[in-house]
Amino acid sequence: MTILLDVSQLSIKVANKVLLSSVSFQLEQGDYLCILGPNGAGKSTLLKALMAIIPSSSGIISLNQQPLSDLSQKELARQISYVPQAHGQQLNFNVIDFIKMSRYAYHSAFSEWSSDDQLALEQAANITDTENFLQRQMNTLSGGEAQRVMIAAALCQQTPLLLLDEPTSFLDPHHQVEVHQLIQNLNQKHNISIIEVSHDLNHAAQHSQHILALKQGEKCWHGPSSELLTTPRLQALYDQQFVFTTHPQTGAAVALPSELNMGEIQ
Amino acid sequence: MKQFNILIIIALVTLLILLFSPYLGLNVEDPAIQHHILTQLRLPRVLFAFIAGAGLALCGMVFQAMFHNPLATPFTLGVASGASLGAAIYVYLGFSFTILGLDGGAFAAFIGALIAISFVYSISRFQNGFSPETLLLTGVAISFFFSSLILFTQYLSNLTDSFQILRWLMGSLTTVGYRDIIQLLPFVSICVAAILWLTRELNLLMTGDDIALSRGVSVQRIRYSLFFVTSLCVGAIVALCGPIGFIGMMVPHICRLLIGSDHRWLAPASLLFGGSFLIVCDTISRLIIAPAEIPVGVITTLLGGPFFLWLLIKSKSKGA
Repeated sequence: MTILLDVSQLSIKVANKVLLSSVSFQLEQGDYLCILGPNGAGKSTLLKALMAIIPSSSGIISLNQQPLSDLSQKELARQISYVPQAHGQQLNFNVIDFIKMSRYAYHSAFSEWSSDDQLALEQAANITDTENFLQRQMNTLSGGEAQRVMIAAALCQQTPLLLLDEPTSFLDPHHQVEVHQLIQNLNQKHNISIIEVSHDLNHAAQHSQHILALKQGEKCWHGPSSELLTTPRLQALYDQQFVFTTHPQTGAAVALPSELNMGEIQ
Repeated sequence: MKQFNILIIIALVTLLILLFSPYLGLNVEDPAIQHHILTQLRLPRVLFAFIAGAGLALCGMVFQAMFHNPLATPFTLGVASGASLGAAIYVYLGFSFTILGLDGGAFAAFIGALIAISFVYSISRFQNGFSPETLLLTGVAISFFFSSLILFTQYLSNLTDSFQILRWLMGSLTTVGYRDIIQLLPFVSICVAAILWLTRELNLLMTGDDIALSRGVSVQRIRYSLFFVTSLCVGAIVALCGPIGFIGMMVPHICRLLIGSDHRWLAPASLLFGGSFLIVCDTISRLIIAPAEIPVGVITTLLGGPFFLWLLIKSKSKGA
């Protein structure tokens, strides 16, 4: 397997506050990595560093053996796309115009919309099933629709690597499942490598291939998703007891926060 | 295409305004004098008004996009005050130099504008993002600060300079001639060219820095370039005809309602609309108490004040 992304000793400081310290990991081509960890662990920071939204203080991020710092922002945008935490509904744009803007990295100042661009747009809308509301305004969409549009826009960038920051956090269960399936579909059918920040342990354990656990800006654990759900590991990560059961339909292991602590309080 | 048609209509109206406004209020019989007034006074004045109005409207549009705020303009954020202070100091110190044939006053105003925008930008960044309230309050504070420095400069000046500064601060096109057009045109042209070149980037800046960066926009570089060219443009306009307020707020907003917020259409529309808008305001200022004139800045501010309040109330009720 070829290494797509190589993060080595990455540290990020903002105003003397350490957000990430010496985080290293590798991502293979076609991998689906979930980043887990408590609030403030530096998960979103890591994604933003990969997208060069936040500058790294030290360490090296390499993409296909090329340091990120050698790439222009435009070159980077042809390699990595990014879906930020939900705020698609706040944008005052026509859906189709918003998705079309994702082709920026393939254009110069006055170049025309090409057939390649049109193809990318149609594919992205098709995969995300957003064709029916291309003409609507972003701020009239429901949460689930807005999230699919955000993903469509990222797909339209046609990058081998897609970063998603808590793509299902504000969605109801039905739309959560829908977006999870969409992401899996992108990874398996369309061979896009995925890095997803999530708070959903069971989703991460079942659907992703690898998990990177962060705590207080440091790497806590990195390994195959099937090995995540062991008591000491989860307890150390979240400072919380868990109990385990199996999914009645799939038989997959499921972790639930333990209520023991509450019993003690009562 | 709908937007194209709207742009054509705006262009036609602009052409009509350019052609007819010089003839309004032309109350002399003698054809020789008429000819002289038209070619030596009215024509340069109308052309100057068009260039200045176009520049102010485009700069306002850029500020609104960069700060994601319909109330953000070079005037509300104190950039025009910075430019005014630069120009006032230039007058007070009795400087008189030219750079490449261009008057030093414009450069002094440019430096003032650049200092003001650096202030506003670093404070809004320090506050971690652009909360609209913080941004506008910063602008108000900076305007007050620079205004008091202008008053101080005025106080120190002799009576003639002081009167000159006062009249100029009202914003007027009464005395402009062809020379002023030549002084203004390079600054505004650079700014207009840069903005028309960067319309895609402006669209992406509206989505927020994170998304713009992830799409491939070098946000910081674009932002600094835009600060630079808008400061040049506002500086030159303020140095030559004084701070003419609120055009940069009203025109792009009206154009957005007409043609939508895609900057590839919005920029040319604002340019034409801004130019003709200032011509209309200047014509009103010329006619309303003829044969005397009121400074055009008084007219635009009289229109702009209520417009500002309307926008403020509208954005508040929408946000709630």
